[in-house]
Amino acid sequence: MKKRLISPFDVLNYIVLALLGFSMIYPFIYILVYSLNDGKDSMMGALYFFPRKFTFDNYAQVFDNPKIWAAYKITLMRTLLGTFLSVFLSTMMAYALSKKTLPGRTFFTFYIFLPTIFSAGFIPYFITLQKLHLINTFWVYVIPSLFSFMHIVIIRTFLQGIPEELEESARIDGYGDFQIFTRIILPLSGPVLATIGLFVGVAHWNDWFTGAYYVSNKDLIPVQTLLQQMLTEAEALSNAAQQASQNGGQTINVNMAGSTPESLRMALLVIAVFPILCVYPFLQRFFVKGTMIGSVKG
Amino acid sequence: MTASLLWKRIWRHKIFYLFMLPGVIWFFLFSYVPLYGIQVAFRDFRFTGGFTGSPWAGLKYFHQFFDYYQSKEIIRNTILISGMKLCIGFLTPIVLAILLNEVRNVAFKKTVQTLSYLPYFVSWVVVVTLMQRLLSQYGGPVNNFLESIGLVNEPIQFLNNTSWFYQMIIGSDIWKNIGWNSIIYIAAIAGIDQQQYEAAKIDGAGRFKQIWHITLPGIRNIAVILFILATGSLMSAGYEQLLLLNGPATASIGSVLDVHVINAGIGSGRLSYAAAVGLFQSVIALILILTVNRVARKVSDVSLF
Repeated sequence: MKKRLISPFDVLNYIVLALLGFSMIYPFIYILVYSLNDGKDSMMGALYFFPRKFTFDNYAQVFDNPKIWAAYKITLMRTLLGTFLSVFLSTMMAYALSKKTLPGRTFFTFYIFLPTIFSAGFIPYFITLQKLHLINTFWVYVIPSLFSFMHIVIIRTFLQGIPEELEESARIDGYGDFQIFTRIILPLSGPVLATIGLFVGVAHWNDWFTGAYYVSNKDLIPVQTLLQQMLTEAEALSNAAQQASQNGGQTINVNMAGSTPESLRMALLVIAVFPILCVYPFLQRFFVKGTMIGSVKG
Repeated sequence: MTASLLWKRIWRHKIFYLFMLPGVIWFFLFSYVPLYGIQVAFRDFRFTGGFTGSPWAGLKYFHQFFDYYQSKEIIRNTILISGMKLCIGFLTPIVLAILLNEVRNVAFKKTVQTLSYLPYFVSWVVVVTLMQRLLSQYGGPVNNFLESIGLVNEPIQFLNNTSWFYQMIIGSDIWKNIGWNSIIYIAAIAGIDQQQYEAAKIDGAGRFKQIWHITLPGIRNIAVILFILATGSLMSAGYEQLLLLNGPATASIGSVLDVHVINAGIGSGRLSYAAAVGLFQSVIALILILTVNRVARKVSDVSLF
């Protein structure tokens, strides 16, 4: 057997990539450690890989806050409803556009492509949302993000790979177009639907902008917007907590335990990120393939 | 084809038009109605009047923007930030893909790849919150570490500091997107015929020669397409990141067009003025993308359209 030489290039390469991988995961490890450590103790610094004074207090206090539960509910509802509707409707449109015999196919493709190269900009869009009475409603989270040119193209490309014969034989069995869609096309499209579902779902989960700029009703604020509000007003949480304790409050009480606004913020961050970290490794093989289909042939 | 034949074909596809209907209506409402609404940039927009009911104002709001004492600064910042992002953010995923391709250990490669996608899946709010905590002057691990190995004597103020602002913007942009953007190049490299490498090895080509003569040409087309797409956003520096990372301390080098539009429009309610700035931005973006597309078609036979 030939001895494999390990070149200096290899050594360097492994080191660079290992450092890169570390830099990707370490911030999350650190936040987890911080959130599981006594808040006042954390302020002393020198915290790296393990909690020094382990505690669940930060989480207990975050979960005690009804505002956070409400925000979580909004996030969950918009993510589930928004993703389902978006994937279903986009697939319907993509299926129609995948029919090579469809009259006007080129026109409709161009119709949805044009806005991707020239957009009206933020203000006319904002005014449109206002005119449609979407501002400050729950639906502003769901409806404006239903379709995207890129998603439709990715699904269409996938659907074009399904053999026509399947549809032909279903037609002979007496299936109508809609039945073919729900019983043949949808079940066969698992991988691409998972990919687009992940994209849309993550976008919903991560969106803070809509909550910050299109919604003023406090009951409609999602988790990420809550996090953004804490970010921009560094003292917001402690103020709220002080106010709450002055009013005999039910929000977050800083004085009781060793939690600080910062440690609570980190606990909320972990909660805001956790579901995504759980989902994405499983869907990885789909989205790697999915993006390739969409971008290479799109 | 006669008219009746066409009509027959359309009728046969009626269910498919029904399938498209929600999408067609949606694109009309959320893309074409705002396009029609661009005219507010040329009108004294009053909400009660709607898009067409307000009086014309000509180029008043464009003049207002270009007369604004900070407009040059804002344009410069925008081009500077997105230009740096365009170059560095475009090259780093290619480098990552090539480095990953040279790794023989499959488990190691898979691990690094999976980790590299991770930041793409969290929001900018999360990224900036992470930065604030990690780079904090008060017990942040980065400053702790630098101090403990004796590299710095006192904590560095990374955020809200003009001398570190661009490093933070570009660094966090790379961190968030490098892994995700490398997927496409990894796929393209995987599609290169392995026999080419074998042949090159027999001809005595080393690692770097193989990368230069086989890997890079193999991903050239896809790189050109992605570059064209990226140029379209040269006038937009990424509003989420800059809304969150730019503060009063860094405003002189961190104010960009997108954020200016949002602040003037929604923050101060100057809708017509903000629409004019936004339109300026869109038009430049369109010109850029069309120009680069044309140049790319001439130079390399690769183009978007």
